[in-house]
Amino acid sequence: MTRISSLLTATAIGVVLLSGAALADTSGKKIALSNNYAGNSWRQAMLKSWDTVTKKAVADGVVAAADPFTTGENQATEQAAQIQNLILQGYDAIVINAASPTALNGAVKEACDAGIIVVSFDGVVNEPCAWRIAVDFKQMGAVQLDYLAEKIPAGGNLLEIRGLAGVFVDDEIHAGIEQGVAKHTQFKIAGSVHGDWTQEVAQKAVAGILPSLPEIAAVVTQGGDGYGAAEAFKAAGRPTPLIIMGNRQDELQWWKEQKDANGYETMSVSIAPGVSTLAFWVAQQILDGKEVPKDLVVPFLRIDQDTLEANLATTEKGGVANVEYSLEDAQKVIAGK
Amino acid sequence: MNTVAAPTRSPLARFATRPWIWSFIGALAVWVATIVFTGGKGAGEILSVALTFSSFFVIVGVGQMFVITTGPGNVDLSIPANIALSGALAMILMDGSNGMILAGLVAAVLCGVAIGCFNYILIRTLQIPPIIATLSASFIIQSIAIAYGRGLKIKPPPLLTDLVQAHILSVPLLALFVLALSVGLAFVLNRTLYGRAVTAVGQNPRAAELAGISVGRTRFLTYVLSAALAGLCGAMLAAFSGGASLNMGEEYLLASIAVVVIGGSSVAGGDSNVPGIWGASLFMYLLVTMLNTFGVGAGVRLVATGVIIIAVITIAGGKSSGRG
Repeated sequence: MTRISSLLTATAIGVVLLSGAALADTSGKKIALSNNYAGNSWRQAMLKSWDTVTKKAVADGVVAAADPFTTGENQATEQAAQIQNLILQGYDAIVINAASPTALNGAVKEACDAGIIVVSFDGVVNEPCAWRIAVDFKQMGAVQLDYLAEKIPAGGNLLEIRGLAGVFVDDEIHAGIEQGVAKHTQFKIAGSVHGDWTQEVAQKAVAGILPSLPEIAAVVTQGGDGYGAAEAFKAAGRPTPLIIMGNRQDELQWWKEQKDANGYETMSVSIAPGVSTLAFWVAQQILDGKEVPKDLVVPFLRIDQDTLEANLATTEKGGVANVEYSLEDAQKVIAGK
Repeated sequence: MNTVAAPTRSPLARFATRPWIWSFIGALAVWVATIVFTGGKGAGEILSVALTFSSFFVIVGVGQMFVITTGPGNVDLSIPANIALSGALAMILMDGSNGMILAGLVAAVLCGVAIGCFNYILIRTLQIPPIIATLSASFIIQSIAIAYGRGLKIKPPPLLTDLVQAHILSVPLLALFVLALSVGLAFVLNRTLYGRAVTAVGQNPRAAELAGISVGRTRFLTYVLSAALAGLCGAMLAAFSGGASLNMGEEYLLASIAVVVIGGSSVAGGDSNVPGIWGASLFMYLLVTMLNTFGVGAGVRLVATGVIIIAVITIAGGKSSGRG
């Protein structure tokens, strides 16, 4: 019931917006993207999506400008200075992928006090005046175990590849995986390494721990590490377990090759880099005077056996499976759908 | 352990005064601890894997060692960006074809040479301190890598992948190759005019200059050597891990400096050795493997890594200062 009604509301809003009158309200507004890092394929795709969607939005007269800015060093202090510059440059809204959830709060508060709308996503900030488009990372860990319980009912030993130690995202996904293991007790984590979301690092760490491990039924991951894990198993001459993938093109490509060769089955889950475009539309909606809750949750992008080919076909070589969000998608997320 | 201050004459004791011996002792201790924990399971495999991955550390570590040897303040921070760009360049040029392997490797090394020249131009002509110069160069290089490679994952030629992953009597071929390379570089450091000049410049540039050594030329060659080795490492790493990626060099920034220090070379320059780079690289890799095998949490793991590294440096450093 509520689902249907909220969908109807969203559609209604969409229709009103598309009829033109409401769109004009933000045509003079300027939105900036403050991004803390650009050195991996996910961030590259994120910037590219931003570029594609916002260029069109600017051309269509939805907003006056949507300029991306990236800091060089992935430092909170540098990003804080950048945000201060953006305030001075007179942007109406700043969309942030933050280097730290807390260290930017001062700069974010300054922006809010200057009447600027601040929307953070992916790397969110906890300053109350800002909006947050957060990812349910815990759920991202938990769904892996749910999938495994269905695929390997007998259970077995798991190898967990974690992300960058000390980072919030790593702790959250890990907590989700622990939760999943507690729920599906037939699985046991036999070993755990940090792969830093990088294939080369994951390959190296897995190669090191493999000789000391018993037979591994499956590898649970955080994305960006599945292909490296597969290479390490191959190099060690061990049978390839079920490795959960993280939507990277090299991972999907490898999965496709295995699927064609021996019917290999797995699933892949991660956040679409296009979440930057969702943040853009949310900022636009707030500027438009819409009532938007401070905390929103992004849906994650899951790829299964039957959707593999379609997703691989649309994923750029070296990139990440992606979705670019539309205004309607943003309205659905705002409506809590 | 008691301090071994007294001068001893037995060959074993002389051996113990080598600054690099501690990194090997550390590596051995960590390996034995791992094996004891697993009950002897996988002893050989762990060592074989460690040799493979240490090889990458050694290639860049030796280059960094030459740079650090040329004196205080000399360090090459452009290594990670260099690895990313050279690796991407090699993969794009090879384009998966066995016939282009040599060309690709040469291109990666030449790319490194160009980066080394660029670094030195910044340092010498613009009088920028090496830390700042190589760091800012790395921003430019990384940006070129991003624009040029776009994170493109081109598969390496199958022959090259087979070569870097091959084993002879379960010893990785890659490790043998890097061993030969490091023996050659040890010869260069200890037995050639250039190598002696590097050490002399590091000990006292003024004295070296007065002795007729061109300090500028020596440092120039050293930055080029380091960058060329990093370029080679980029191509090898890309071949080993199924393609180049933008951030594959990231961990080599601190690692390249750490292996120099743990290996018993002086951070202040003028005193270095190649064997220590091997000992330290094996130690670093086996240490992480040990802590992973023990299954300790990330926090404990990082603390333990820090404490053990400090312990090894203190023991090794105490030795060298004792020698005066």
